[in-house]
Amino acid sequence: MLEEEQVALFLASRLIARGNKGTLALTIMIIAMVFVNLIFLPSIIAGVVVLFNQQTIDYSYANLVIEPKEGALLIAKPGTLVEKINRIPGVAASTPRYAAGATIVYKGKSTTPLVIAVDPDREPEVMKVHTGIISGDYLSGSDTGQILIGTTLAGDREQKVERTPTLGGVDVGKTVEVTFRNGVTKEFRVKGILKTGTSLIDNNAYISRRDLAGVLGVEDPANQILVRTQETGNENAMRLLLMQYGVQEQIWTWQDKSADFLKSIVGSFDIINLISTVVSLVIAVVVIFIVIFISIVYRRKQIGILQAIGIDRRIIIKSYIFQAIFICACGTVAGCTLLLAVLQYLAVNPLVFPGGPVAPLLEAGLVIRSIASLFIVALIAGFVPSWLTTREEILAAIRG
Amino acid sequence: MIRAEGLSRIYGRGSVEVRALDGVDVEIRKGEFVGVMGASGSGKSTLLHLLGLLDRPTAGTLVIAGTDVTALSERERTLFRLNRLGYVFQDYALVPELTAEENIYLPSKVRGMTAKECTLACRDILALVGLKERYNFLPGEMSGGEQQRVAIARALVNNPALLLADEPCANLDSRNSVLILDLIRKLNRELAQTVVMVSHEDWHRKYFDRVIYLQDGKIVADPGGNGPGSTG
Ligand SMILES: Nc1ncnc2c1ncn2[C@@H]1O[C@H](COP(=O)(O)OP(=O)(O)OP(=O)(O)O)[C@@H](O)[C@H]1O
Ligand SMILES: [Mg+2]
Repeated sequence: MLEEEQVALFLASRLIARGNKGTLALTIMIIAMVFVNLIFLPSIIAGVVVLFNQQTIDYSYANLVIEPKEGALLIAKPGTLVEKINRIPGVAASTPRYAAGATIVYKGKSTTPLVIAVDPDREPEVMKVHTGIISGDYLSGSDTGQILIGTTLAGDREQKVERTPTLGGVDVGKTVEVTFRNGVTKEFRVKGILKTGTSLIDNNAYISRRDLAGVLGVEDPANQILVRTQETGNENAMRLLLMQYGVQEQIWTWQDKSADFLKSIVGSFDIINLISTVVSLVIAVVVIFIVIFISIVYRRKQIGILQAIGIDRRIIIKSYIFQAIFICACGTVAGCTLLLAVLQYLAVNPLVFPGGPVAPLLEAGLVIRSIASLFIVALIAGFVPSWLTTREEILAAIRG
Repeated sequence: MIRAEGLSRIYGRGSVEVRALDGVDVEIRKGEFVGVMGASGSGKSTLLHLLGLLDRPTAGTLVIAGTDVTALSERERTLFRLNRLGYVFQDYALVPELTAEENIYLPSKVRGMTAKECTLACRDILALVGLKERYNFLPGEMSGGEQQRVAIARALVNNPALLLADEPCANLDSRNSVLILDLIRKLNRELAQTVVMVSHEDWHRKYFDRVIYLQDGKIVADPGGNGPGSTG
């Protein structure tokens, strides 16, 4: 049995080593391209999804969101709860917030964004909103009457057509009037302008919780506590842990909270990804099959002669399978090299999406599946045409 | 060695059928050097294809070296070609990516010799056809005559019971043709190699022990044979 493989390998190695180098190089290049095509777009999409998720965590919800008990509007004793949560193993930090709509008026322009009251000292340990300041400064613990405005909300004096209602170009140092749900109106000085790249955040305004306490007449008002865990990915386990430690408020993971709109985006990406993978795979199958098929058909006469001098068709078929596998292996190696080169290039010149640069995410599973599918294709592409050719009449094959 | 009875090969069906070979009875003895001659289209190649197990007869029986080859399966036919037959084509039909030695090595290795035995056998047989120095040459680096000698060496490497050659000199000039014919006759004389060779060159006749003449798929003369048209 092994004898057969030896002869097949001998034949395959000579046919490749002494065959047309140009055709071989071209074939390997095509397979390399097909390989890159199979992996590149899914990696980019995976990178975008990771970016989106990271943004959701960094700017909107942290890892876990604690909300008032069912039926309540406020979290009772948020200060104590935050201290308690911070002591739970696996928690990095947590911070209370009060988020509600309010009407902001500037120079006669009025809009009703989400105004989020934060603890300026705790907030940066949990969230990255403070990194988005593009002019002015972030809030500080001692501030009163100061507000941060998202860049989209702030608007632009030059802009004639507004896609969303804005304040028409408010700057740092200007004063805006904020009317809260309870009807209280208070003047705030714009301390900074925020730009995170996440449209949701860039439409918000941020004030300190101390100011809000005065406005609401409630001490320590909070309707959210955002919790940053030490690791991302174990939110469900951490949620259970918090419950075990006696947190009775509602606990959500960032995935729960982002369900509605980001999940649908990620879901769409998954569909795009699936379609792109299937299409790439079909292209890969067809291209590799055609390339190897043609090379075998081209050697039809030679295959006929080998059979005529008594070489068993199984040896011939195996030798073509070996050749196909070899070509495929070279193509995969070349494809990996090409892919690494592209990734290297993208590391230097990143693709910038709203919200930041996207690093393509190479998933080992995808790479392995791609390589495996290419090899299966090579196996079939080596087998089918040589099987067909060795099945036909020897004389017909010899005549060419 | 070979006994064929009523050997026929009919191409096509119904009104357009071509009787390429039409009820040929022939017997070839061990050690004979038989020429097959006749006009173009008379069925010479068809006969050789049937003897070489490259094609199956439409009718008739064929026994080669004691084996009823018409009863063999496809796989057995392949093995029979490998072990018992040597076939030399008009256009050499070497594998262009293999050197002279590797072309010969292939069938001997498939037959099951060790690599060392194969290499020794290849060198011996290359020396026999006078190409000892050319063992490492690719077909593209050799003349037509040299390539044909490699092809003959490849056909001989497994010590076939029967060597078949279909116009092996057709692509060669007369000097090289003589070389090939001398070689085949030497093999026939010195190794008692049974040979059936197709030719349409009259001057080749002097090399043959016996000539079978074909016309329209039938044997019209076979001096030295036992069948119709024979004189011996
Ligand atoms: N595959 C085929 N299909 C139909 N007819 C064929 C086929 N092969 C051969 N023939 C016919 O069979 C007849 C004998 O052909 P064959 O090749 O045996 O002749 P030949 O004696 O070898 O001729 P040449 O000297 O030209 O080589 C011819 O009439 C040819 O047209
Ligand atoms: Mg012919």
